[in-house]
Amino acid sequence: MSKIICSAAIRGAHKIVGMAEEKYKEALKKWGPDQEIGFPNTTYYLPIIYGMLGIPVETLGDVRQILDKCKELVPPPVSDKVWLPYLAPALEAGMATYFAEEIIEAILYLEQPDFYTKAEDPLPDNIWLGAADDVIMRKRGVEFVDGTAPGFAAILGAAPSIEIAAKIAIELQEKNLYVFMCADHEGKTMSEQLIEAGVQVGWPTRLVSFGPSYRAAVFAIGFATRVAMSFGGVKPGDFKGNLYYNKDRVFAFAMPLGTVTDEWYANAAGGINWGFPTIADTPIPEVLPTGVCTYEHVVSNIPHDKIVARAIEVRGLKVSITKVDIPMSYGPAFEGERIRKDDLYFECGGGRTLGVELTVSKDMSEVEDGKVEMIGPDLDEVKEGDKLPFAMLIEVAGRKMQSDFEPILERQIHHLVNYVQGIMHIGQRNIMWIRVGKAAVEKGFLLKHLGTVMHAKNHQDFGGIVDKVQVKIYTEEEKVKEVLAQAKRVYKERDKRVEGMTDETEETYYSCTLCQSFAPSHVCIITPERVGMCGAYNWLDCKASFEINPTGPNQPIIKGECTEPVLGRWKGITDFVIKASRQKVEQISAYSLMDFPMTACGCFECVATILPMCNGIMVVNRDSMGMTPCGMKFTTLAGMVGGGNQTPGFLGVSKHYICSRKFLLAEGGLKRVVWLPKMLKEELAERMKPICEEMGIPNFADMIADDTIGTTEEEILPFLEEKGHPALTMDPLM
Amino acid sequence: MTFEAPKVSYSGKIREIPLGREGNTVTVGGESCYPFHLFEGEMPYPPKIAMEVYDSEPEDWPDTALEPFADVIKDPAAWARKCVDTYGAEMIALQLASTDPNDKDISADEAAGITKAVSDVVDVPMIVLGCGNVDKDTDVLKAVCEVCEGRDLIIGPVAEGNYRAIGATAIGYKHTVLASTPIDINLAKQLNILLGNLNVPDEKIIIDPSTGALGYGLEYCYSVMERIRMAALIQEDERLQFPIISNLAREVWKTKEVKVPESEAPLLGDVKKRGILMEALTAQCVLLAGADILVMRHPEAISLVKESIKDLMTGK
Repeated sequence: MSKIICSAAIRGAHKIVGMAEEKYKEALKKWGPDQEIGFPNTTYYLPIIYGMLGIPVETLGDVRQILDKCKELVPPPVSDKVWLPYLAPALEAGMATYFAEEIIEAILYLEQPDFYTKAEDPLPDNIWLGAADDVIMRKRGVEFVDGTAPGFAAILGAAPSIEIAAKIAIELQEKNLYVFMCADHEGKTMSEQLIEAGVQVGWPTRLVSFGPSYRAAVFAIGFATRVAMSFGGVKPGDFKGNLYYNKDRVFAFAMPLGTVTDEWYANAAGGINWGFPTIADTPIPEVLPTGVCTYEHVVSNIPHDKIVARAIEVRGLKVSITKVDIPMSYGPAFEGERIRKDDLYFECGGGRTLGVELTVSKDMSEVEDGKVEMIGPDLDEVKEGDKLPFAMLIEVAGRKMQSDFEPILERQIHHLVNYVQGIMHIGQRNIMWIRVGKAAVEKGFLLKHLGTVMHAKNHQDFGGIVDKVQVKIYTEEEKVKEVLAQAKRVYKERDKRVEGMTDETEETYYSCTLCQSFAPSHVCIITPERVGMCGAYNWLDCKASFEINPTGPNQPIIKGECTEPVLGRWKGITDFVIKASRQKVEQISAYSLMDFPMTACGCFECVATILPMCNGIMVVNRDSMGMTPCGMKFTTLAGMVGGGNQTPGFLGVSKHYICSRKFLLAEGGLKRVVWLPKMLKEELAERMKPICEEMGIPNFADMIADDTIGTTEEEILPFLEEKGHPALTMDPLM
Repeated sequence: MTFEAPKVSYSGKIREIPLGREGNTVTVGGESCYPFHLFEGEMPYPPKIAMEVYDSEPEDWPDTALEPFADVIKDPAAWARKCVDTYGAEMIALQLASTDPNDKDISADEAAGITKAVSDVVDVPMIVLGCGNVDKDTDVLKAVCEVCEGRDLIIGPVAEGNYRAIGATAIGYKHTVLASTPIDINLAKQLNILLGNLNVPDEKIIIDPSTGALGYGLEYCYSVMERIRMAALIQEDERLQFPIISNLAREVWKTKEVKVPESEAPLLGDVKKRGILMEALTAQCVLLAGADILVMRHPEAISLVKESIKDLMTGK
């Protein structure tokens, strides 16, 4: 921690503790040790002291031991010769500062009972509200817990002008934060500035004028401390529990506006104990390494127009957006809409014009949240029937964002655009196609609104990984070409990444227990090369799903030692399956049909089973209605496979897995496949090609029989013999 | 050699949860065996029945259900008193049905006022149930928690969509929550995990995995409850080791079978007997599936079930 900051904080703490000592002595002389002291209408005594130390301060006499504790905590002033890390002593100094300030404020209540209004709103002649009583704390504090108000900004000092003060306050209010105000800068306070600007101050508007002194910061911290005790079940004296609770759940930060004095430093250092960082407008030293706070501790010299955004970022606060603000209705109900020629006003992509959509992740500093740029003509500048080239570039940033999540976010564009009433979206990447209906244009829809949609929905649905979203939409040919070139580079890299990802390269696989609601003992194991059998969840999806919903159905599993490389068994996976299936399934092989095959839920895309006479394997997909050579249709087979049962010889698989290098490795892989429905064979043709080439049988697809050749083993066997299908000469399956 | 009946060995136990204000608590849970498998383990607290009280005069009840309460139907407080004084109710379940935005849509404050009035006249533990609309329940139950501080209510339904707001308020005012999920063991477990993460104490959670009436999907609900108990007792799933509540009366008394008069459906027999038996049988089923608290309506159905509980508990 910066030596300058620590030295100042420790100096400040000395001054404040000294002042408390003096005040205490004076008060003791005047009222005696039995005089009751405290904040109004609270059962938490002096809440910081009570929360941290578990000591209820009820009388002046009780103060003595607290002051002694303060003196114990405050380290000696920093000398020039010592170069030790300063974090711990500074934090202790900050803690002592708060204890001392609570004492000073409690004595102030005694000396001047009407110094604070003790109400929710300012009075005409007194704007200082003082400590919140328990009624206010319960009513407001619950908002911190349920997320309606994620936290608070403790503002010390005053803005350079009343306009800036009002702007900062409004920005904070828009983020649903409480603004707790105290201290003055050159005689001015933020509270007075807001009142001068005609802004309504008080608990109901979440702009709380605690007090004119920096010491009123304890009302903010005391509030947070009480929230942890009241709503977090944290016991008085459990300082660790209380501080962690606040760090993890109360998104608060200090925002000193103006000269940071020693006393301010002492208060800021105290706040760090609670995990509340400081974001300053003046060029004070910074404390950037993370540790006690979630991210940085002290960030400084932030211009006033950026300070709120920066504070939110530093504290790790998630932006919540409840409404997609566009002139059209929005929701899944409109997903299936078709825009036909007669209704068509405008279209782009789909082979008619150049079209591309791309989601990329960037550094936090490169993305301005909520910024939507339209480069080129929008719908209000085109006439009916026009076409334009189109590129949508979505740039996201987040502390937990990984480039691996880009394709997952990009895949959402399709349904997110389709949710807009009167818009049709087809395809993805550079084969995307958008049609805008006449009705949408009449209601004032612009292409720019797609950016609004992407911003809102990425926050709503992916808030776990996305902190900032900005969108650029281009309709100028040259720009579109640029984005297209960038997109092609990105696609290539991504494909290479997915291609290069093998079960061997990753140490963590994921579970999926989404279907346990109806198949209680079923556990899906999803590896880079084995997509979930429903086809809906691949390894990356699971990784992202876990980041977004850590208690959800996709849990990471360290695969551990590989015990059977060909069958696909790992120690970690086996242990997990036993536990997650509640002892119903004792072993699974990720790559085998015959030897402890994976269980299935009911949502598999295809079923694989053996054809003993052909010494091979057939796969039938859900859409295929007809008879298959094993003598059962898909529906009958599905009954054999589903429900979390392990039935050797029957397996639920996804289409994607059929073309994986790990497909039924134990039985010989794709080479074993002797029959597929024609529709499935055609669907997989492209993806099968490289595997066939690797197998050294480029024309392998032609050797696989289909329903046009026959639907019994007797019918297809001669075909396989004629083609010289490799399965016929492989080791017997049974 | 003598025959020895095979016994299930249990590794888990349901949490014991005391409900209600000190001095008048009723404890539920504590089972260390499947329901009434007293030859295998213990059921220290027999299942309890909470009698329903509505916040305003019900409009769609059949006469069978109205008749016992005809004199108090307009006054929730008097209704609650009658349940306790006349019918010996062990608990009261106040249904705030009028808060439904698609119904009377009474305000949160009004609902809280009614709740306060009822809670002032009865000492038994009291369950307060919102209408099931996630947003409205949030407003209503927050207000209820506030005005009934110190009453140790059981409030619900707390669902995935509002568990933070209601859960947090319940912690603040020290009430018990009723974690409600739609017939799904995983969702039930997940909500319990989420409530735990929110710091709702484990001894303040009762779960409601949803109930259908006899003939209206009861078997599915039965399976889910049964599976929750299996996971809790033999699979050591500690996030499912909570007492179960079954809010069954309102399901039973809205079915066609309790309403159609005998004149229209002679095969179905006497309408009164039919309604009472429908309720009693539904209750009997969920009892066997593992319910600890039954929310019931008709006094005669209640006495039938009470008798059955007594028989099952004494092994008769």
